[in-house]
Amino acid sequence: MKDFNQDAFIKIADGIENPYIGEWKKAGKKVIGYYCTYIPEELLHAAELLPFRIRSTGNEDTDLGDVYMVRFTCSFVRMTLDLAFKGGFDFLDGLVMSNCCDHARRMFELFDLKIFTRKEFPSKPPSFYVPIPHVITDVGFEYYKNQIIRLKQKIEEKFSLSPISEETLATSIQIYNKNRELLRKIYTLRGLDRPKLSGSLALKIAMANTSIPKDQANIELERIINQLNDFEGISSKKKRIMLIGSVIDNTGFIDILENSGGIVVSDFLCFGTRNFLEDVKLRSKNDPLAEITERVYYRTSCPRMMDDHLRRFEFIKEEIQKSKIEGVIIQRINNCDLHGCENMILEHKLKELNIPVFNIDRENFQKDYSRIQTRIEAFLEMI
Amino acid sequence: MVNKEQLENRLLPYKMLLKGTATMHELATRILPDNAVPELVLGFEGLISHYQDCIDKAGEGLPIVGHHFSFPTEYLYAFDCIPVCIESVSFMLSALLPSTVEKYFDLINHYGHPYHTCSAQKGIMGMSIDNLTTFDAIVTATSPCDNTMASYPFFKLIKNYPLVVADMPYLQNDESYEYMGGELRRALEQIGRLIGQEPDYDRLKKHIELENRVNQTMLDIFELKKTVPCPVGNIFNGLSSAAQIFLAGKQEKANYYNSVLELGKKRRKAGVHHGGEEKIRSIWPYMLVYFSIELCEWLDRHLGMSILFDVFNYVFTENVRTNQDLDTMFFDMAKKTMNVPMVKQSTSLYQPFIEEMIQLAREYSADCFIYTSSIACKQFGSVPQLLKEAIKDELGLPMLMIDIDVADTRITNLDAIKEKIKMFTQTLL
Repeated sequence: MKDFNQDAFIKIADGIENPYIGEWKKAGKKVIGYYCTYIPEELLHAAELLPFRIRSTGNEDTDLGDVYMVRFTCSFVRMTLDLAFKGGFDFLDGLVMSNCCDHARRMFELFDLKIFTRKEFPSKPPSFYVPIPHVITDVGFEYYKNQIIRLKQKIEEKFSLSPISEETLATSIQIYNKNRELLRKIYTLRGLDRPKLSGSLALKIAMANTSIPKDQANIELERIINQLNDFEGISSKKKRIMLIGSVIDNTGFIDILENSGGIVVSDFLCFGTRNFLEDVKLRSKNDPLAEITERVYYRTSCPRMMDDHLRRFEFIKEEIQKSKIEGVIIQRINNCDLHGCENMILEHKLKELNIPVFNIDRENFQKDYSRIQTRIEAFLEMI
Repeated sequence: MVNKEQLENRLLPYKMLLKGTATMHELATRILPDNAVPELVLGFEGLISHYQDCIDKAGEGLPIVGHHFSFPTEYLYAFDCIPVCIESVSFMLSALLPSTVEKYFDLINHYGHPYHTCSAQKGIMGMSIDNLTTFDAIVTATSPCDNTMASYPFFKLIKNYPLVVADMPYLQNDESYEYMGGELRRALEQIGRLIGQEPDYDRLKKHIELENRVNQTMLDIFELKKTVPCPVGNIFNGLSSAAQIFLAGKQEKANYYNSVLELGKKRRKAGVHHGGEEKIRSIWPYMLVYFSIELCEWLDRHLGMSILFDVFNYVFTENVRTNQDLDTMFFDMAKKTMNVPMVKQSTSLYQPFIEEMIQLAREYSADCFIYTSSIACKQFGSVPQLLKEAIKDELGLPMLMIDIDVADTRITNLDAIKEKIKMFTQTLL
C-alpha cells in the first residue's frame, strides 16, 4: 500500500497553511475562516471565497489563548485562538461565526477585537455572525434561512461583489455534492470487512479536504479512491471501532487507538462522517440558497441541536450494524458540555443494547497519551 | 387511592427548602438582634409563604411543571399548576443545606454527567436519580448556555419526564423577538396538552401585570443604590435572585420589593449603611456565591464592601404590554425572556455587556469589579479578560477574578474566596 502520509494532499492535514491557499491568494482571491459545519460552505464558494475550516493541528499550546479564555473552556478552541495570536491564521480575509457552541461562538468577538486588529492585518477583515436555531423545526428553518439570506447580502456588500446568482449557487452545490459523494466513497472503503484505509488516514483526508478549494479537492479525492481501490485491504484481527464525540483535529488519539489493537471503521465526528452524510437536494434552480440551507439545517445533527438525540442515536445504531462494530468509543474534550452530556446518555443507551462502550475524556492535544492508551488497551481486550 | 401526603411528596425538594428556610428564618429572628438582617428576614418570609402555598397545591393534586429560569415563572401561571424552577431549587438548596446538596451533585456525576457542567441543573438531576422529584412536564428555552441544552435531555431520555423546548435565538432584534414569541406560545400550548389544560391568557395577563408593577419597584431600588453609602444591604442581592424566580407573578414578590424599597429609603434618609461604614462599592458582573448566605453580610460588615449589582440584579427589562392583542403580548414576553439575567448577556455579543458594565460603574460610583467565573459557564468563558481590559482602560478600575462553582463549595471554598477578596481590598484602600 502506498504510504499516504507522504502524499502532498494528505500532508495538508498535518498543518494549517498549504500551497493551495498560496495559489488562491496569489490569484487575488480571498480566504474566509469558519469553525462549524453549520456554516453553508456553498454560499462562500459561490462568492469566490475559499472557506477554510479553522483547526489547531500542529499547535501544541494554549498559552496565548488562555489569556482570553478561562481554563474551563475547550482546549480545541483555546488552541485555535493561541494559534491565531501566533499568526497561524494571518492568511484569513474574514471570518464567519455562528452560535455553534459556547466556546467557539465567542471567537467572533475575540477575532474581531484581538486577532484582526493585530498589525499583521493592515485593514481589519470583516466578521460575520449567523445565529442558528437550536432545535429543528420548520419555523426554525425559516428563521435560519433569513439569516443566511442576510449573510449573503453582507458578504456581497463587504467584499464588493455583484449579487451571487442562482446559477453560481447551483454550480457550487454540484461541486460540493460531488465532494461529499467522494468522501462517502472513501469512508465506505474504510468500513469494508477488509478496510482499505485506517481511521487515522480517513480523518486526515477529511481534514485536508476542508482546507483547499473543493474543485481541486475533488480531483485529489478521486485520485485517492483509485489508489485505495487497488489496495486489497487491511487484513488483521483488529477490533472494529466506532468513534463518537467532540471534534478531533489531529490524529494523536486515533493513532493510539489503532496502535493498540483497534481500527476505526466508522465515526460520528464533525470532521468526519457527520459532515458529508447528506447532499443538497437541488429540486429546482429557483431557490438554491434555500436548498443549501435545508441541508445544513435538517441534516443529521450534532449535540448542539437540542432534542434531536433520538435521531442521532438511530444513526449510530444503524452504523453499528452496517459496519459490524465491535465496540464504541465515545470521547469528549474536557469542558465540552454538549458532548459530555450526550455521551452520558449514549453510554447508558448503548449498554442497554449490550454494545461494548468506552467513555473517555481527553484534551485536544496531549503530549502524554500513556494513561489513555492503557485504558483503551484494557477496553479493546475486554471486547 | 393517593393521599394528601403522597401528593405533597411529589414536591419533596420544596419540603426541604421550606424546612431549611424556616429554620434559617427562626435563627435570624430569634437569635440575632432585632433588624440585624432585615432584607434576609423579609425575603425568607416571602419564600416560606410561597413554598407552603406550593406544597398545599401539590397536596390538592395540581400538576408540577419544572422550568429553566430562561422560561419565566410567571408565564406558567397561564395554568393552574406549580412551577418549579430547576436551577433555583439547586442553588437555594446549596445556600440552605450546603452539606446536603453536594450528595446530589455527586449522584449525577457518578451516573456519568460531566463534572464541569452546571450545578444549577445537577442538584435536581441528582435528586431525580434518588427519585425525589416528580414533574408532569418540564420546559426550557435553548439558552443561556450549552449546559442547559445538554442537561435537560436527561429529564426526557432517562427520567421520561415530558420535555418542552422553546428555541431562543442568539441575537437580539425584533425578528428574534417575533420568533421567540411564537416559540413561547407554542411551548405553552404544548404544556397545556401535557397537563390537560388550556392556557388561560386572561389569567396570565394578571400575573404579567403584577410583574410589570414589581419591575418598577425594582428600578426604584436600583435607583436608591446610586446613593453613597448604598442604602440596600448586600443580602438583598442574594434574596432578590431567589425572589425574582420563585416568587415571580405572585403578590409575595411585590411585598418583598416594596418592603426593601421602604427600608432603603429610610436608610438613605438617615445616611446609614447596613454594615456600618461603606468603604468600597463593588459590581459583580457575574454571579454571587450562592452556597454562602454569609458572604454578603461579611462583605458589608467586615470589609465595608457594598455589592451594587450582580448578574441577577441589573434587570432593566421593559414592561410587557397586556392591553393590546396577544401577538403584541407574546412579542413583549419574548423580549423580556431574552433579557432576563444571564440570558440577556448570553444571547448578545460581548460589546453591550461590557458597555453596560462601564455605564453602571459610572452611574453607581463603583470602585471595583469582582468577577466570579463559574466553571460551568463557558458562554462567559472569554469575557473576563476583555471586561478587565475595558474597565481598566475606560474607568481605571481593577477587577478581581475568582474561579468558583457557585453552588459547590468544593471547587473554591468560602475561606479561600474571603481571603482573595480581603487581599484584593487591601490593594484598594
